[in-house]
Amino acid sequence: MIDKSDNPLRLIIIDDEPIVGKRLKQVFSKMGFQVEIFTNPISALEFMENNPFDIVVTDFKMEELDGMEILSRAKQLNPKARVIIITGYAKPETAKEAFKSGVFDFMVKPFRLDELKEAVSRAAKTQG
Amino acid sequence: MKFVQDLVHRIKNVIVGTPPVTASAIREKFERFKQVLHCNQTALELIADMGEKLSGEYLFDRHYIETTFEELSETLLKCIHNLNALCDNRYTELYEVFDRIHDRLQLILQGREDRQGPPVILLREISKAEYTIVGGKALHLAKIIGDLELPVPDGFVITTKAYHDVIAYNGLNPKVDRLEGLLASPHASPEDIEALRKEVRQAISRIEPPPKLIEDIGLALGRLKNNTEGPLRLAVRSSAQEEDMDFSFAGQFDSVLNVEPAPEKVFSAYKTVVASLFGRYVIEYRRAVLEGEGQMSIAALCQIMVDGKSSGVLYTTDPLDPASDVMVVVANWGQGEAVVDGKMPTDTFRLSKKDRVKVIDKKVSKKEEGLFLSPKGGLEKRKIPEDLQDKPCLSDEQLIELGEMGIKLENYFKHPQDIEWAVGQDDDVLILQSRALLVKKDEVIDRSLLNLEEKYELISSGEGRTAQQGIGYGPVKIVKNIQELKDVPEGAVLVSPRDMSVFVQVMKKVSAIVTEVGTPVSHMSTICRELCVPCLVNVKGIMSKVHDGMEVTVDAEDRKIYKGKVGELLVYRSCQQMNVFESSDFRLLRRLLSEVSRLNLVDPLIEDFRIEKCETYHDILRFIHEKAVKELIDLGKDPKRLLQGLITKRLDLPIPAGILVVDLGGGISKDAPEDHCEFKHIVSIPFKALLHGMMTPGVWHTEVMEVSFRDVVTSMINAPTDAIDGQYSGHNIAIVTREYVNLSLRFGYHFNIVDAYCSDIPRDNHIYFRFLGGATDITKRSRRARLIGEILMSYDLNVKMKGDVVTARMTNMPREDMERVLEILGRLIGFTRQLDVHMDSDETVQRYLDAFLRGEYDVVCQ
Repeated sequence: MIDKSDNPLRLIIIDDEPIVGKRLKQVFSKMGFQVEIFTNPISALEFMENNPFDIVVTDFKMEELDGMEILSRAKQLNPKARVIIITGYAKPETAKEAFKSGVFDFMVKPFRLDELKEAVSRAAKTQG
Repeated sequence: MKFVQDLVHRIKNVIVGTPPVTASAIREKFERFKQVLHCNQTALELIADMGEKLSGEYLFDRHYIETTFEELSETLLKCIHNLNALCDNRYTELYEVFDRIHDRLQLILQGREDRQGPPVILLREISKAEYTIVGGKALHLAKIIGDLELPVPDGFVITTKAYHDVIAYNGLNPKVDRLEGLLASPHASPEDIEALRKEVRQAISRIEPPPKLIEDIGLALGRLKNNTEGPLRLAVRSSAQEEDMDFSFAGQFDSVLNVEPAPEKVFSAYKTVVASLFGRYVIEYRRAVLEGEGQMSIAALCQIMVDGKSSGVLYTTDPLDPASDVMVVVANWGQGEAVVDGKMPTDTFRLSKKDRVKVIDKKVSKKEEGLFLSPKGGLEKRKIPEDLQDKPCLSDEQLIELGEMGIKLENYFKHPQDIEWAVGQDDDVLILQSRALLVKKDEVIDRSLLNLEEKYELISSGEGRTAQQGIGYGPVKIVKNIQELKDVPEGAVLVSPRDMSVFVQVMKKVSAIVTEVGTPVSHMSTICRELCVPCLVNVKGIMSKVHDGMEVTVDAEDRKIYKGKVGELLVYRSCQQMNVFESSDFRLLRRLLSEVSRLNLVDPLIEDFRIEKCETYHDILRFIHEKAVKELIDLGKDPKRLLQGLITKRLDLPIPAGILVVDLGGGISKDAPEDHCEFKHIVSIPFKALLHGMMTPGVWHTEVMEVSFRDVVTSMINAPTDAIDGQYSGHNIAIVTREYVNLSLRFGYHFNIVDAYCSDIPRDNHIYFRFLGGATDITKRSRRARLIGEILMSYDLNVKMKGDVVTARMTNMPREDMERVLEILGRLIGFTRQLDVHMDSDETVQRYLDAFLRGEYDVVCQ
C-alpha cells in the first residue's frame, strides 16, 4: 500500500496547533511517508510552490488562510495532489463546497486517527 | 451558577407533568426506574466517549470538550430529578453536590483551577483533588509515596494557590498578566518580552509574604519537626505545573538547599524559586517549546534535606542503548549536585534488569572532592578522606536495592525513568525525584520501524481496539480470575479473557494489558488511560496464542503483538518525550475527565456509600444507580403493596419453589393461562436464567434433612419472627419485566434475594444477591455463608460476608455473561438450600466448593 522503498510519498500537514502536527508527523512517518509539517499556512504554500508534494492534510480554520484556499492552491500547483481537510466545526455547506472543489476527503473532529490513516492510505493508493 | 439554575428550570419543565409517585403506582415506579437507568446510561456513555478520546487514537478540539461537557451536565441533572421522582424526593441534597462539582469543573474549563485549595499541604497528605496545585515534581513524589510506598524524604508543598495569593497580595497581577499575554501572542516582539520579564523578576525579589502564608508554613514546619529525629534542614525546590509532567524543564529552575526550618527563611528561599519562573531560560523555553501555550504557575517543594553519604542518578534504561536490559547508576560521595553538574569525577555502575537485578559492571573513579551540607547553609566542597577516594560509593546491596526501586518506578510510570536518589547517614536508599528519561530530543522517527513484521514473528496484527496507546514488553501472565492477580510479576504483560476493573490492583507493575473480550469504554480501559498502561482490548484469539512466561512486545499504537523483544519499539518508546504529542485540548480533556470520572464510591457493599462522599459526576451516577436499585429491591420486600391490584400468577415448576409472579410488563408470555404459568411461559431474561439454574438436574434436593433439636431452637431464637412460618409459605415472589427480576425466596429459615437487570446494554445490567439465615446454629450457618461467598467469588462477583449474611454484586456485564451468572446463582440457591445441616466442620466448605465448581451437586446426598 505504502511505498516503503527509498521514494516515499510526500505528505504535507498544516495545522496551527503545533502539537497536532508533531503527532501526525510521528504517525505518518511510522507508516513510511516523508512528512513536512507547518503551523503557518502561508509558509506551507511557499514550501509547496518550491517543492514536490503528493498529499496535503490541512486544518480548515486557521488565522491567516483557510483550508479551502489551501485546497485550491494545492490543486493549481499539482492537479494530481490529494487534499484532505480536517475541521472541528462542520457545516454541511462547507463540506459540499469542499467536495465541489475537489477535496479528497473532509473529516470532522472528533475522529479516530485510524480513519485519517485510512483516508491518507486511500489517497496514497490513488497516487500509485 | 446561572447555568445550573437555568438547567434545573429547563429540565424540571420537561419532567414535571407526570403525576407524583404513589405507593400503589408500582408500574409507574418501574417506569421511573427505567428512566433513571436510561439517563445513567446516557451519562456514562458520554463519559466513556470522552475517555475514549484520550486513548491517543483521536483528534478532537475544544468545541468537542465544551459541548460534551454541557450535554453531560444536563443529563446528570435529569438523572438526579428522576431519582428524586422515584424515591419521593429523598435525595434533594444531590442538587447541591452537583452544583459544587459543576463549579469546580467550570474552573478547570477556564484554566483557573490552580487558584483553589490550600496554600500549604504536607507531601504525604496530597489528595487526588489537589494534584493540580502541587506541581509536577511534588505530584510524582506523592504518587511514589502513596502508590508505591517507596522511601521518600518527608516535606510539604507551597501550592500554586499560594503563588496566586502572593502575586495578588503584592499587586503584581497586572504585570504578570501582561507578560503572559505577550507570551501567548505569536506577534509579540522578543525585546518587549525580555524587558517585561526583567521587570517582573525584579518585582518578585521584593515581594512580601501574606501573613497567613507565614502562619501556614510555620504549621507545616511544626508537623515536620514532630516527625523528625535530629536537626532538620530543608531543600526548597521548584515544582512547576508542567515540570516533570508533560514537558521537562530539567535544571531550569533554581533550588535553595540546606535551608533553616524557620518560616521567614523558607519564604526567602521560596522567593528565589518563584523568581526562576521568570528566568530568561524558562521564558525562552516556554516560547520555543510550549509555543506560549497556557498560563504557568509554580509550586515549591520544601523537603527534608538528606545529609547524603552518597548520592546520584539512576537511569532505568541505558540512554545510549535503550533496547538493552541495562540500568545505569552514576554516583559520588556527598550530595547529588556534584553528579548532576558533571563537574566532579563519579562512579558509574551498570545493572542488568533481566529476571532479577544484578551488578554487571563498575567503573570506580578517584573521587577527591564532593559536595556536603555546610553548617552555614547551602553546600560546600570538601575533600573526600583518602581511604574512600577509590572505593565505590555504593555497596552491591545498595545498588540492587536502588535498581529494584528503579524497576518499580519504570513499571509504574510506563516509561524509562531518570531518578535522583541519596543514601542517608543510616545507609538507607531514598528517592528524591523521578521523571521521564528522554533519550534523544529531536528526530523520533526511525525508518527501522518499518517492516518490523519481516524481522519478528507477529502474534496478532490489527486485531482489537486501543484502550491506551503505548509500547509494553515483558513475559505474558494469563489471568482468568481475581485470585490469579496475586501471581502477576513485576513488568508482566497481563493477558485475560475479558476486561476487569480489578486489574487496577496490578496496573502499577504490569507493562501492558491485552484482553480477548472488552471495550475501550469499559471501566478498566478508563483506569488504563489514567495510569498510562498500554492496553489492547477485544483481541480475538489471543488466549490461544500465548502462554505464561512467553515474552511479547505489545505495540498498542499499531495494534500489533510480537513474539519476543522488539528492540526497535523499545528505543522508539524511550525517545518519546512523555505526552509531548498532546495538545492543550488533550490535556484539558484529560484534566476535566479525571475530575468527572474518578470514582470514590467504589463499593456499595461497604457502609460508606453516602451523598456527602460524592466528589465527582461519576460518584453521583453511581450513587443514583445504587439508590434506584435499592428502591426497587425494597419494593419487592413488601408483597402486600405489590399484590394490590396487580396481576399475579402462580408459577408451576417441577421443583417445589412456591413462587408467585408479578408481571410489570413483558415478563410472562401472553399465552399463559389467567391464574398460573409454567417455565415455558417465562420470557423475562434474568428470571428465565435463574430458573434454568434452579431446575438443573441434581441441584434441587427434596430429601428432608435431619436437623438437630439444638439447631431448631437456635434458629427460632435468631430468625426474624415472620420467618418462622414453615416451608413454602407461598410468599416467594418474583417481580418481573422482560429485562428485570426481583426474586424474594424464603425457604424455611433462610432468605435469598436476587435483584437483576439484564439487557443488551451492558452498562444497564446488574445483579444483586443477598443470602441470610438458616435453621442451624450460627457456626454451621456461617460455614454455609462462607461456602456461598467462595462460590460467588469464583465467578467474579463482588462479595461481602458477615456472619451468616452474604451480599454479592455484579454490574456492567454483557447479557450473555449476566445470564450465565444468573444460572449459576439459580444452581447455588438450590444446592445450598439445606446444606447448613451438613456443614459440621470447616473442611466441608472446601469439599462442597470443589463439588459445586465441578458440577457434582449430588455430593449433598452422599
